[in-house]
Formats: sequence, structure tokens, C-alpha cells
Amino acid sequence: MRRTRRPRSLAARLAWLIVMGLAVLFFCVPVVWLLLATTKTDGQIVRDNPFSFGSLTAIADAWKHLYAFQEGAILTWLRNSALYTFGALAITLVTSIPAGYALALTRFIGRRTLLTVTMLVMLMPTAAMVLPLYLGMSAVHLDGTIWSVILPFSFFPFGVYLTYIYFSSNVPADLLSAARIDGCSEWQVFRLVAMPLAKPVIALVGFFNFVGNWNNFFLPFVMLPDSSQYPAQVGLNNLLAASPLFNTSSGTGNEIMRPELALATLVTIVPVLIVFLFSQRALVAGMLAGATKE
Amino acid sequence: MNNDVPVSSRRQLRHTAVAALGAVSLLALAACGSADPTPAATSSPAAFKPVAQEEGSEITVWADAGRVPGVQAYQKAHPDVKLKIVTYSGNANGANDLQTKVQLFDRTGSGWPDVAFSANVNDGTWAAQGKTPYAAPVDKGLVPAATLNGFAYGALNPCKFNGGTYCLRNDLAQNVLWYNKKLMDKFGYTAPTTWEEYQALGEKVAKEHPGYLVGTAGDAWSPEVYFWASQCPASTTTGAKKVTVDLQDAKCTRMAKLLDTLIAKGSVSKDTVFSAGFIKNQAAKVLMLPGPSWYGQVLFNSTFKIPKGQIAAAAPLKFEGDDKNYTGNVGGGLWFVSSHSKNLKAASDLVTWMTTSDDYQATAGTYPAYKPAADKWLAGQLKTGYFANDIDPAFKEAAELIWPGWSATQYSQEAIYSSTVIPALNSGKTLTDTLGTWQTAITDKAKPLGYTVN
Amino acid sequence: MTTHLATERSGRRGARSARNPVGRAGYVFVSGYVLLLLAFGVLPTCYAVWLALSNSRNQLVGIGNFTRTFSDYRFGPAFVHIGLYLVIWLASLMILVVLLSLMLHGRMRRASTTLRFLFYLPGALAGVASVLLFLILLDPAASPVGWLLKAFGWETLAQVNAPGHLPVLFTVIAFWTGAGGWIVVMYGALNSIPDEILEAARIDGASTLQIALRIQIPMITKWIAYMLILAFAAGTQLFVEPQLVSLASWGMIPDSWSPNQLSYQYAFQAGDFNGAAALSVDLLVLGLACAALVVFRTGLFDRDEG
Repeated sequence: MRRTRRPRSLAARLAWLIVMGLAVLFFCVPVVWLLLATTKTDGQIVRDNPFSFGSLTAIADAWKHLYAFQEGAILTWLRNSALYTFGALAITLVTSIPAGYALALTRFIGRRTLLTVTMLVMLMPTAAMVLPLYLGMSAVHLDGTIWSVILPFSFFPFGVYLTYIYFSSNVPADLLSAARIDGCSEWQVFRLVAMPLAKPVIALVGFFNFVGNWNNFFLPFVMLPDSSQYPAQVGLNNLLAASPLFNTSSGTGNEIMRPELALATLVTIVPVLIVFLFSQRALVAGMLAGATKE
Repeated sequence: MNNDVPVSSRRQLRHTAVAALGAVSLLALAACGSADPTPAATSSPAAFKPVAQEEGSEITVWADAGRVPGVQAYQKAHPDVKLKIVTYSGNANGANDLQTKVQLFDRTGSGWPDVAFSANVNDGTWAAQGKTPYAAPVDKGLVPAATLNGFAYGALNPCKFNGGTYCLRNDLAQNVLWYNKKLMDKFGYTAPTTWEEYQALGEKVAKEHPGYLVGTAGDAWSPEVYFWASQCPASTTTGAKKVTVDLQDAKCTRMAKLLDTLIAKGSVSKDTVFSAGFIKNQAAKVLMLPGPSWYGQVLFNSTFKIPKGQIAAAAPLKFEGDDKNYTGNVGGGLWFVSSHSKNLKAASDLVTWMTTSDDYQATAGTYPAYKPAADKWLAGQLKTGYFANDIDPAFKEAAELIWPGWSATQYSQEAIYSSTVIPALNSGKTLTDTLGTWQTAITDKAKPLGYTVN
Repeated sequence: MTTHLATERSGRRGARSARNPVGRAGYVFVSGYVLLLLAFGVLPTCYAVWLALSNSRNQLVGIGNFTRTFSDYRFGPAFVHIGLYLVIWLASLMILVVLLSLMLHGRMRRASTTLRFLFYLPGALAGVASVLLFLILLDPAASPVGWLLKAFGWETLAQVNAPGHLPVLFTVIAFWTGAGGWIVVMYGALNSIPDEILEAARIDGASTLQIALRIQIPMITKWIAYMLILAFAAGTQLFVEPQLVSLASWGMIPDSWSPNQLSYQYAFQAGDFNGAAALSVDLLVLGLACAALVVFRTGLFDRDEG
């Protein structure tokens, strides 16, 4: 349908290309640099042209050094991160999608209050939440367990709002009413009518929840007392602190320098990018499916 | 119908606002306690009383990645001790992870590590203070006096509060005069012994070999390198939470003037030695660099990648009018024993081993604070063959010359210098111009933490 | 056109509410979330508010903590910093995100998928992982954008991090890591506008600009409102960017540049959780004021518009 639009002027095309080109440069140049940094030695990163390519053996060396840090701790961190984020992701989807749906398309007393309270909590600076959360976890004796991280991670008001706005602006309530008249129970309406249309927002919520938790440093840092429980962000922080770049008392024989840190950075963001690609697909496919159903 | 929504919302908003206002005024009236966070009564801690001890119970050790191999070596040598080792950032680079966690543990009343390492030399100031300090006084029956006396002169000063010693020092970071012997020989210079000679040489270098450097003033730790050595009273504590700051003292201005002259001539850089720009463009042109003992391996070897046989160390410089030379100190790790530990015996044994044992300290990355271990360490450095001279005399002399008038404080002098003075320097101001701003910044920082400043 | 749609919709709404009476199903659907909300949202918030109103001996002190933190010498500068930052940040975020999303939506579906991925890339780098990046990026001597920094006349790390540059610097960093995510959301929102409406407008002879201003933007108002609220709150709570740059420049950024950092200093350096909570409540109130304004202006909580 979109193809039928009339041709645009050359100037408009050129403007489009220039703006997009600048945006791509802005967003990608640092990332390209980071990719190239892993192929160089520490000295090359500082002294050579920022966009020069080093060698593939340098990547292998960097990985060897990185892997040697605390005997393969990097893999433990990634495994822990995956455990916490996917655990939280499951609970988030199960709780926030129905909640957003109900806020948008059903009526119940307290709906507005719930929206207001959700907003209020979302606006509370996280720094102030740390102590109460920590005390709470310790009061119910969950401190130090993986639940002290997974449960707060799965509380995701941002996702409830995304779902709420999505349903309230994209799914016509008439569609649901029709299903109700056909004799569907509320559960069936949700499952058979709303869910198939919700694919894009599920992708969106899932993705943002995953990334937010994957990149969260402070909560796991505060909650987890044992280094074998650290997720990637806390581990990376320790890695930074162990590098002579930032730790003047690290002494000699320490191999964690710029290429190792660049590689560690890349290794830890790969899962995020994979999840992004998957959710992008669901996002676009779902949105289109929704459009044709309208 | 569409229209009345905003109206009712607006009414709701007004109601909420009125209610909020009412609540606030009510609260203001209802206040019955003082908002002062540090009531006077808690300023001096009660005498240390150990908790009930459980012999042979497991102890938890927090250390940074650099210290963990040492703890593992201890475990190997003492297989019967039950140890749980946790790696954390070690508070490197100005982090306060240990303090953050201890604040939370204090709230819940559990979780403290029995032993903790910190790379932040200021950490004793909070760990030894408060109602129930986190750190146990190790000189009260935990570590024998003979061991404590084996530490270098003043090495335990950052641990001494209220008449007790609350930690053991892992390493010293005494400042010496580093120089590139190969370059100095090539240019026909000899290492200076006084700050006056240093300044003269700096001016000469600027004229004869422009671009070569004799120092840097853009490092966070520049105050500890230059102003501490100059015996500037920038951080002198005179009692619990009482500090003297007087940057207009002649001993501060003389150093500020010296550095200003050399910065203007171009032989002292305003950059920091760890920045990529410095490593790329200036590292190979460093002729002399007053700085801590760890510069040798961490900076010249690992970061600058200066080849073997060029870098040498000389004794700290002296001012001609002074009766002796003094120097400063940049960092140095501390080992704490928790006052909440159920196995003080095992915990103290571990920190004693970590700080004094040749098995670990002789090959450690940094200069041991414990004198007998330092001898072995220096012998090890000689064997590496990296340095162009024997650094032993300069290091040992400097270790005993750290001016005792500069104290550890709960705030970081380094953070203040790098966020206040470095930007000023880079906007074209001189150090002498900035002393006033700097003084205010220190005072401002100290007061909210409960210090009396004069 | 939009008014026509709106009346049509409000007409439908009256009819529907009769068919969809207040029901119990809603409670079942929100129950799981409400449990989490109470445990990890409401309770901690209440406790934080209590902290803000009491002292370390658990005595009620009223607004004592607020007046105490207000008179702190760091309070004023921190809020001035954040005010400057907010102006730059909100303006650039709102304009550029909407603009880029509209441009992406208008053309070449396939290219736009790739472009959205590229724009998102830095978003994965939020947090500790990016310290190394900024360590090099902000140092003109080794930076991949060194030519640009030098074009501004900045030759060293310290000059790049000069106090006057910080609000802009943090905006660039926050935009770099945050805009991609919002572009994805906005693109999705634009995608859900039925093609028929756009097509009809086009046949009526509306230009691209008119379509954008009169149809597309009004139809994604709820999303824009939501973005505005969160961006404002995130802006007042700025913490990560100054921390990262501070780490990467060995402390050249004051440790209490933003109010949220100051709150952190209170809590974990001075052990004063009450003062810290008071500062957080200040920020909460600011965020709520903005939210209230936006919510009432755009009808974000109303069920049937948008």
C-alpha cells in the first residue's frame, strides 16, 4: 500500500539521506571503534589511528587474558546474568501484560489509582529504593539468594505502561465486546482476542525488561554477597577495578588492559543484541499483522 | 463527556495540592526530633567488646582480584582454616563499595566480612568511627606489638584513631623522584637532590629540550606528590574529626609557585599520566617524574611500556631551607578485621600473614609496608632487571620520610583536586590563583561529614 | 480530521461502557502485578518517605531533613546543573526522536529495520561496560572523534571535561545510549496507525509534513507524553552518565554534580539515609509535577483516546 505514494523530489531524498547518514555516524562510530579495539594491542589502541585494524591473533590474546581472569569468571558472570534476567523476564511477562491489558480494556474500581501509583513508583529515584529493598529482603530472609535479585527485577512498571498504552490506543474495545457477546469468558477474550494482537508489545516489554536488568549494576551489587553469584555488570566493575588503568595498586603481571576490557564489553552486550534482533522481528511482524486485522 | 475529564482532573489536582500542603504544614508542626544526622553523643565509640567467639568457625574474606591469589596462598598454607573468599572491587579508583555495603550491614545487623581489604588508604576514617565501628582495634590483643612495630615509620598512621590501631597496612606508596636515566645521561643532566635544583633543571629542560617533561600536575594525586612533600598543611587532623586546612601557608605557596613556573615554561604537564593523550604523545618524553613507588612497574613498565634499563629512582627532594627532606604517599591498601567477627583469632592471623609474610609480600605488586618483607621485595625487584639503578636505597629512605602532618580524611583529597583544581588549571588559571578555591572546596567537603575545620 | 475521529470515538465509548460493566476479571489480571507493585514499589517508597521525615533515631522530624539538605552548599549547584541538562536533554530527545522515527517510518521498510538496529546498538552499552569507551572517546589524542573535539579547540581530556561542557556532554551520552530505544517505541506506535488513514490524507493532497503534523503526531500523543514523563524523570535523576565520565577521567567530575549523586553521597558516604531520602523525595516531587502536567494535558489515563 505504501508503495503507491507519489514520487518525492530529489531534495527531499537528499535531505533524508543526509539526516540518516549523520544519525548512523553518530550512533555507530563509537561502536565500530570498540569492535576494532579488540583487534589491537594496548599500545596500538592508544597510538595508532583509531580506525586501524590490528590482527586476529590480538583478539585471541585478549580472550586468553580475559578468560584467565579469576579462572574463567567471565563465563560465570554471563551464566548468572542469564539466570537472573530470564527468570525475571518470565515473571515480568506473566504479570505485566495482563495488568496492562486490564488497565486499558477492562473497568474496575481502582484502575486510575493503580495507574497513578504505578506512575508514582516509576518516578521514585532508584537510589532511594536500595535501602528499603535491602531491608525488606533481609526481613524475609531472602537476602543473598537469587530471589533478592530476580523478584525486584520482575517488577516492571515501565512495561505495564507500555502494554497499557499499546492496548488503549491500538486494540478497539469493540473487538472485545463482540467476543463477549459471542459468549467468550474474560479469560478467553484475553487469550484468544487480545493475546494474538499483543505480540509487538510483548516483544517490546520483554526486550526493555531484559536490557534494563542485564545492565543493572546497583541492585545485584547490593544484594549479592558472594562473588560466584555476580552477574556481568558487577563482574565487569571488578574487572575494571582490577585493571592497572584504574587501579594503581594492582601491581605487575596484570593482563587486563584496554583490549581485554573492550572484548569483555562486547562479549557482555552480545546477548542484548541477539534479544534485540528477535524482538524486532516480533515487533514489526506483529504490528503489521495487527494492522491488517483492523 | 470528553470535556469533563480534564475538569475533574484539575479539581482533583487542586484537592491533592491542598492536601499535600496541609500534610507538609502538619509535619512541620509534628517534628519532635532533631534532623541533625550526627548527634554529639556518638562521636567517640564505646570500648571494643568482641562478640561471642566460635573457635574454628568459617571466616569471610573480601579482597580485590589482585589480592585474592594471596588469600588463596594462605589457604594452601593453612588447610585447616575455613575460608570463604569474595572478590570485590577493593575500592580502587575512588569507589566506596565496602563502605556502601557496611552501611547496609549495619542496618540489618549481619553480613559483615570478617576480613576486608581496601585499596583506599582513607577507609580507616569511617571504618574506625561511629557507634560500633566496623573495624576492630588490632592493637588490643589481636596482633602482637612486635609485629606492629615492624611496619615502616608512620605506615600505620591511616589506621590510628582514638588511641587505637584499626587496620594493618598492606603496602606503602611513598614518593620518590623517578627519572629516565638514559635520557638524563644523553642530555648530560644529573638527578637533582633539592626542589630548587629541580626547578632550575626544569627551566633548563624547557629551554634546551622543549617538549620534555620533569613532572605532571594534572593527576588526581598531585597534592600528595607535591604539596605533601612540601609539608603543606592541607589535611592535618588534630583530633577526632578536627582538621586544619591552610593553603595560604608559606609551605603551600612555595610549591604552588614552583609548579606554576614550570607549567608556564612547559616542562610540567597539566595532563594526567594515565590519559591516552599523555601515553601517546608525552610518555616517551618524561625525563623526571616525582611520584609514588608503584609508578615503577604500573606506570613506566605496564602503561608507558618504557624498555628495561632506562628508569631509575632517586631519593625524595629537599627544600634548601628545611632541615631534612620529606615526602608524601599516594594510596596503599589496608586490611581490616571486623569487630563483629566470631573468629577474631583466624581473622587476625590472616591479616597478619597477608601483610607480613615473605611468601606473599616479597613478590607482591607493590612495596610492602612491613619492613622485613620490604627487604625481600626490593631484592626481587633487583632481580627483574627492569630498573636502571638499584631502587633499594631511594625506596627505603623515602619509606621513612613520609611527612606525618598529612592525615587520612573521610573525604578524598584526590577527588577534590581533580574536580576543582584540574579544571581551573586547564582553563588557564595558575595554582597560586586557585589555592583559595581549593581551600573552600576542602572546607565545604569536610563540614557535611562532621569535621570541624580551622 | 482528527476532531472527526475523536467525536466518532467518544460516541463509541458511551455505547461500549454499557456492554462492559465493572467486572471482577480486571482484578484477576492485575493481581500478580499488584503483588509485585506492593512489595517492590509501594512499600519501599513508603519507607523512603518515612526516612525523609525522620532521623536516625527513628524520631519524626517533619521537614527538618528537607531544610537541612536545602541549605547544603551542593544543593543549589546540583539543581542548577540538572535544570540546564534537562532543557537540552528534553528538547533534543523530543525533537530528534520524533523526527527520526517519522523519517524512518516514511521510507524503505527494509532499510529502516537495519537503521533501527544501528540506532539501538549503543543502548546495549549502557552502564559499566561503556567506561572504557568514554575513557578513549573523550580523549582527543586517541579518540575516534578526535578531529571533532579538536575542531572545538579541545586538545586534552581535561579540556573536553571542562565544567561548562558537562550538560551538553551528558546529553550527548544519554542520547547516544537512550534514543535508539525510544525510536523503536515511536516507530512501533507509528506503525500501528492504519495505512488507510494516511492513504486517504495523501489522496486529499496533504503533504508529508502536513500528514506528520496533523495525523501522525496527534495519533501517537500518548506515547510522546509517556516518553516526556519518563525522560523528565530520568533527566532529574541523572546519575549514570556523570559517574561514568568521572570514572573515565579519574574524578574530574564532582561527585555530587547531580542531585541523585548528592543523594548517593549522603547515603553511602555520610551514612545519612534520611538526608538522602529527602533529596530523593525532592526529585520525586519534581517528576510528579511534570507527570501531572503531562497526564492532565494529554489524557494519558483516559481509556479511549489516542
